[in-house]
Amino acid sequence: MCAASTADPAALATSVEARPGRTIVVGLGNPILGDDAAGWLVADAVEAGLAARPARGGDARPPVVVERLAVGGLTLMEHLVGYSRAVLVDALVTGADPPGTVRRRRLDSLPGREAGHVDSAHDATLVTALEAGRLLGADVPDDVGLVTVEAVRVLELTVTLTPEVAAAIPVAAAVVLELLDA
Amino acid sequence: MTRITIDPITRLEGHGKIEIFLDDAGEVSSTAFQVPELRGFERFCVGRPVEEMPVLVNRICGVCPEAHHMAAAKAADAVYGVVPPRTALLLRELLYSAFFVADHTTHFYALSGPDFIVGPDAPVAERNLLGVLQRVGSDAGGRVIEARRRCHRVVEIIGGRAVHPCTSIPGGMTKGITAEERDEIRDTADRMVDFAAFSLELFDTLILGNPGYVEMLTGDTYRHETYSMGLVDGAGRLVLYDGRVRVVAPDGELHGEYDPADYADWIAEHVEPWTYLKFPYLRKVGWRGFVDGKASGVYSATPLARLNVSDGIATPRAQEARDRFFATLAPPTGGVRPQVHGRLAMHWARLVELLYAAERMAELVADPEITSDHVRTRVDGIVGEGVGTVEAPRGTLTHHYRTDAQGVITWVNLIVGTTNNYAPITMSVDRAARALIHGGAVEQGLLNRIEMAFRAYDPCFGCATHSLPGEMPLEVTIRGADGAVIDVRRQHC
Repeated sequence: MCAASTADPAALATSVEARPGRTIVVGLGNPILGDDAAGWLVADAVEAGLAARPARGGDARPPVVVERLAVGGLTLMEHLVGYSRAVLVDALVTGADPPGTVRRRRLDSLPGREAGHVDSAHDATLVTALEAGRLLGADVPDDVGLVTVEAVRVLELTVTLTPEVAAAIPVAAAVVLELLDA
Repeated sequence: MTRITIDPITRLEGHGKIEIFLDDAGEVSSTAFQVPELRGFERFCVGRPVEEMPVLVNRICGVCPEAHHMAAAKAADAVYGVVPPRTALLLRELLYSAFFVADHTTHFYALSGPDFIVGPDAPVAERNLLGVLQRVGSDAGGRVIEARRRCHRVVEIIGGRAVHPCTSIPGGMTKGITAEERDEIRDTADRMVDFAAFSLELFDTLILGNPGYVEMLTGDTYRHETYSMGLVDGAGRLVLYDGRVRVVAPDGELHGEYDPADYADWIAEHVEPWTYLKFPYLRKVGWRGFVDGKASGVYSATPLARLNVSDGIATPRAQEARDRFFATLAPPTGGVRPQVHGRLAMHWARLVELLYAAERMAELVADPEITSDHVRTRVDGIVGEGVGTVEAPRGTLTHHYRTDAQGVITWVNLIVGTTNNYAPITMSVDRAARALIHGGAVEQGLLNRIEMAFRAYDPCFGCATHSLPGEMPLEVTIRGADGAVIDVRRQHC
């Protein structure tokens, strides 16, 4: 087996400086697939909510980073490197809840694995990807929360949300902001 | 046996669905493989300016947006009848080669690896990337992550964003690269050539050194003799970004070679009542059903097909790897182009392509014109119709657009990589089912062996649907001769 060169020690470093308390909120989804845009729209609302808050004197915590992504599995894990905490937001179709239901979930508890974008059919579930990252020495968050919105229509190309999902966007954003304050 | 009609209106819950029908003796008589289809993309695009397409199509698929971006860029060039300057073409192909390295790396270690490095009979909990990393070691695992990170960085440098590039426009690119960026990419390219060679050696040691795996690569369970399709350059060598489409018969004879714009003269679509997706086939051969052979118009467009159609590879180490591939797996054919038909050999073919893509990165970044700032040809006039074709990791990808005189889309047709392979995937699943189900009894490991049959193709139904989660969620229903359900197996759903 060839051992002429080995991995670059900086392989898992990112441009993000790892500091205690650094948090990322990631809206997951596809903005042109109807209700699948929910994650991105919640991220927009969270970002607006954070910007509207008055600065708290003496608060040494680094600012929360908000991103919108359409990736899962390994690629999503790689985006989380350097953060101590992550909150992921995604649309979900389970049929078990009325459309627009907002839930907080554990990453490894997604019902029936028919959910959203956290996993990838082409490489790994996010849980596996995070474990792989830890195995390789990556600084990935131990605290990964998931906020989901029960969706209706995710297989149709449209920029319009169903009414119940649209109404759930501010609700989900409030749940995320509450999580960030916890 | 009782004929079962599957209602095509039935909504699939976002996972793959296989129906296996048994005859009176409990042997498999037929198989149907359904996936949910995302429809309406063509309608969605009508009314949009064609120059928006390279960015819009990033959203079709979260796995290979770079492939759609490039096919769209080439189609948009053709709509305006414009040829980008040489530097722009170098940059596009450099980005594309980096994407291929990242994508093939991920597939081999995360999808092939669980089957071959961990083993098909290992517990489910171990048959994933983590199981692979635990077996190959943290150093190898670190190189996998490094390859992905570095190649995503190349895409970001040239394409403006990691994963979802946005710099290709009609006539070229919105920006070039600096000398510093070129140096960074050159370092990455050298490391990727090294890494690709390492991966091939790993395959050699862990897989070719295991008689059980060699049997899987060469045996009948995963073998189909179909036509092969792929892009080639003027010398008949494998290419990924641009070329002519070549189709080769199962015996290696040339079926035809054509300009990608003429695809409609060569490809037709067959419809079945039990699935939304259509089955492309070779028009000049005809549809004979889901059968192998030269008289059947079924074709494959995969890494294996690309090796089968080509006469060689233009980069030296990949050429050596190709020679070894055929010397090992293909019987001598007395001068006719050698063919490999064991579908699991796709995993090896992917690594040969990985090495080619890495060597091609090194060639392109060393070109003196790579840092030129002449990256766009001015658009002057419009043709109003264009076809853009690239080799996506999963097969030949074609975007075909028509526009009005202002460049606004009036019509779109896409043939995505995996669509080419829908018939062979269906056949491979059927073959695996027939090998595993006898006398009505279903063997242990059925689902995984069936999943291996189509996972070799790395099917991306994310192009046809919303990205599927996790390991392929799959429901397998086995019905008796009277149509009654005998057994239902579920995996990840």
